[in-house]
Amino acid sequence: MSNASNGKAVVNGMLLKGSLSSLRQVSAMVLGLLFASASSSTAGAQPLSKSFTVSPESSGLEVINQIGSIKVTASGSNTGKIMINARQVDGDARVNATQTQEGKVKVEVTGRGTVDFDIYVPLSTRLDLFTYKGAITVANLTGPVRARITTDGNIQFTGLRSSRVEAHSSSGNVVFSGELLPDGEYRLKSFSGSVDVTCPSHADFKLSASSFTGVMDLGGFPMKFDRQTNQLVEAAVGAGRAKVFLWTQEGSIHLRRKP
Amino acid sequence: MECRAVVSSMSDYIDKHEMWLSDIEVREIETHLIACSKCQSIKLELTEVRTAARELPLHTPSRALWARIAKEIEPEVPRSERPTRVERPALSWWARMKSRQFSFTLPQLAGAGALAAALIVFGLFRTSNQDQRDFNIIKAPTALQTALLPGEDTIKAEIERRLSVINGRKMNWDPQVRDDFERHLNKIEESLRYSRQTLQNNPDDRVQQQMVLTLYHEKRQLLEDVERLKW
Repeated sequence: MSNASNGKAVVNGMLLKGSLSSLRQVSAMVLGLLFASASSSTAGAQPLSKSFTVSPESSGLEVINQIGSIKVTASGSNTGKIMINARQVDGDARVNATQTQEGKVKVEVTGRGTVDFDIYVPLSTRLDLFTYKGAITVANLTGPVRARITTDGNIQFTGLRSSRVEAHSSSGNVVFSGELLPDGEYRLKSFSGSVDVTCPSHADFKLSASSFTGVMDLGGFPMKFDRQTNQLVEAAVGAGRAKVFLWTQEGSIHLRRKP
Repeated sequence: MECRAVVSSMSDYIDKHEMWLSDIEVREIETHLIACSKCQSIKLELTEVRTAARELPLHTPSRALWARIAKEIEPEVPRSERPTRVERPALSWWARMKSRQFSFTLPQLAGAGALAAALIVFGLFRTSNQDQRDFNIIKAPTALQTALLPGEDTIKAEIERRLSVINGRKMNWDPQVRDDFERHLNKIEESLRYSRQTLQNNPDDRVQQQMVLTLYHEKRQLLEDVERLKW
């Protein structure tokens, strides 16, 4: 097939965009068609776009990446669909996207290589995001979220209204900006990066902040301290309704009031 | 400084490093030990051996006995095959031997020889088999440490189990991925050693207890992540 630019091929519900330039690639395409199962999709070197129909109230998404970023944007207008865009940066990694009978979408990268994801979900989607190396970004979500980076990469949450947030990066910053809901639980950790939380000045939470070697800047919230050492602060702001755990071994902790 | 050079100087470092090693070499070894769990483990093992050897009773052999032993040993060790180290003082091996006072019985000498041979074989085995070395060395320090916290032994056993599985697989990983993993593992282990040492000095410090537990959790989580990726 010659350079059929902008050419599109639909494989088992998955949209493949790109150009095929050799007989070998055509053969691979045919083999891909033969082996694709009814419930899963696999992408080679081409970008992958696929959407799943989900229930807006109970949608769930799990992404297991190897190397590469994961960006998730929640939108009120995006009701009932999870849209996944994957771009292979290098290597021969493969992306498998499936949906369970309960409706949860699972995306997993296998093989070797870098894949970047740009994903759109309904507001209340339950997220479980994982990458060995690469950034994770989540915006505007109201559902619970867990994000984990095994080695290097920053985690950034923007405009969140989630009742449960867990984030961990080994060697990157964890930045949270959003509401701390009553009875919510927020666990933000980084081994050698900083942990930075920005929340409204009326936030009501119980804080446990621990930094082994870094600075702790608690942003002028009026606090009632239960324990205060160079490495650990336990305190309550207001009635202490939400629970906030911040930890970094080598980085700094910043707690800021949203203007 | 590389592991091989550190291991070769380790005995002197543990024994009388200010006499046998230059200041630069001592600093290099100490810097390396902070970052390298494997060499740290070897140091622990050699320290144990040295402590055990110190408990042996001392006897003074005659000078004639030493002369006979020296005559036997020296021709068997070609100069070219003697271990070399970085920037040593210009004293010869034999001159340094002679400048010391020794008091051993023949059985003790025979025992020391056997021990030295065992250590050499052990060292060669370690340096020749990377996988096996990682596994053994990571296991070694935990065997020498006693639990400071309730449940610590259980956590360590679980970590060792996971680590042994991963060590068996990681040779097949992409080199960059492997380097990243080892770098992070070393960072956690270094912090864990430091926190544990601090806790050892003040076992009732609840903040340190919490930090040690958090670091164990961190280490276990790193291993769980890698297992999750099915590499």
